[in-house]
Amino acid sequence: MKKITVKICFGTTCFVMGSAYLQDMLETIPVKYGSKVELIPAKCLGLCSKNGEYSKAPYALINEDIIAEATAEKIIKEIEERLQNEN
Amino acid sequence: MFIDIDCIQKKKYDQHICGDYFISKRYPEIGRLIAVLSDGLGSGIKANILSCMTSTMMLKFTEAGKDIQKASEIILESLPICRIRKISYATFSAVDCNEEGDVKIVEEGNPQFVWIRDLKVIQPEFRIISSKKFNDRNMHIYNIKVKENDRLIFCSDGVTQAGLGTEKLKLGLRREGLIGIITDILKQNPEISSRKLSKNIISAALQKEEKLLIKDDISAMCMFFRTPRQALVFTGPPYYSDKDNFYAKIFQNFKGKKAICGGTTANLISRELKIPVQNETFIPSGNLPPTSYMEGVNLVTEGILTLTKAYEYLDSAEPVVNNDPAGRLVNFLLDTDCITFMIGAKINQAHYDPNLPVEIEIRKNVVKKIAKVLEEKFIKKITFQYM
Repeated sequence: MKKITVKICFGTTCFVMGSAYLQDMLETIPVKYGSKVELIPAKCLGLCSKNGEYSKAPYALINEDIIAEATAEKIIKEIEERLQNEN
Repeated sequence: MFIDIDCIQKKKYDQHICGDYFISKRYPEIGRLIAVLSDGLGSGIKANILSCMTSTMMLKFTEAGKDIQKASEIILESLPICRIRKISYATFSAVDCNEEGDVKIVEEGNPQFVWIRDLKVIQPEFRIISSKKFNDRNMHIYNIKVKENDRLIFCSDGVTQAGLGTEKLKLGLRREGLIGIITDILKQNPEISSRKLSKNIISAALQKEEKLLIKDDISAMCMFFRTPRQALVFTGPPYYSDKDNFYAKIFQNFKGKKAICGGTTANLISRELKIPVQNETFIPSGNLPPTSYMEGVNLVTEGILTLTKAYEYLDSAEPVVNNDPAGRLVNFLLDTDCITFMIGAKINQAHYDPNLPVEIEIRKNVVKKIAKVLEEKFIKKITFQYM
């Protein structure tokens, strides 16, 4: 099974727009999913400056898919969906 | 030569404020530095006012090149008189020096300074000037020439009298004890900064006190004449992106410590120099985004939030330095003598989203504020390069 990679952007914009609250996931995700999911804290992914979508921060990347206005719920939902599809 | 100077103080255990006062001023364009350490009569607020007035006036008189005897008499006449003791008094040590190593020192009442070269104490010559108006006011005047790696250490009598009356040190630490402490520290760490040396002297003096209660205000002012330690802070992408490579190369070729403040900036340098940026082992820092790692760079942090927090730390009365990214940036900045800021003028549009907190400042302004406090409070030499 391919590992799911989650990158959470900790660039300035994302951080103040909410990714600061996602820091806990760095501890909870490995506990919950073990080696199935890898969570990477990323510095600015540059997504906030693209195409005028400034206010959609914070951003996360799950594999290559962009998650705008990322929250812990959204990220976990995406992970769960991917894990189910794998099964 | 660069003159690294710092002073650490601790107040008497039962007072709210330190009665010793330290002030210094650097004149970067002529390589001159004046510093004064004064110890006010008694302790607490009263002593603080006396020493503050004395050191500030002494700095102004020295700056203007006034006759030292006249200056000290004017100061003594201006000080408010203690109601109990019917006298007004604050001792002082005033240093006027330049980067060529010419040092003039005037001491009145403070313990004699310690001059260290190659772990040995040099005993300088001095002449004495007595006040015509005030009895027992004798000033010791020294004109000395220091060499690179020499150190001068000035203390208030709280240091030399530390431990007075205790079993081990009936007469207190005294000058000999102080010299012992200094040489021990220097033997272990010959390159120690003035800040750390002052800190270590103060904590060693504190250890001598009974129950660790400081019986008098203690201050240690250290000076270290050395080749300057250079540092470079690169923050923000250049305005013209076709210059990215040019500036990245300047960053690469810089001789000294280096820091990058900004995620986009780190990406840019990584791209131009083909050095990967890696995530550091992540420790959630709460209020600040994490740091990263790049080979050949001492510190890689996020930009504006970290800079703003670092400014808060530097500006607070006693810098509270945590081990968060901003605290590490503060340590990086304080452990240097000359700092160059390369500031990219490109605007990050995303920072102007009205949904973002208003605290997000313009980079140039934050850096200017940091530079001002580094220059004025921590006596660093600052240069800017706008890109």
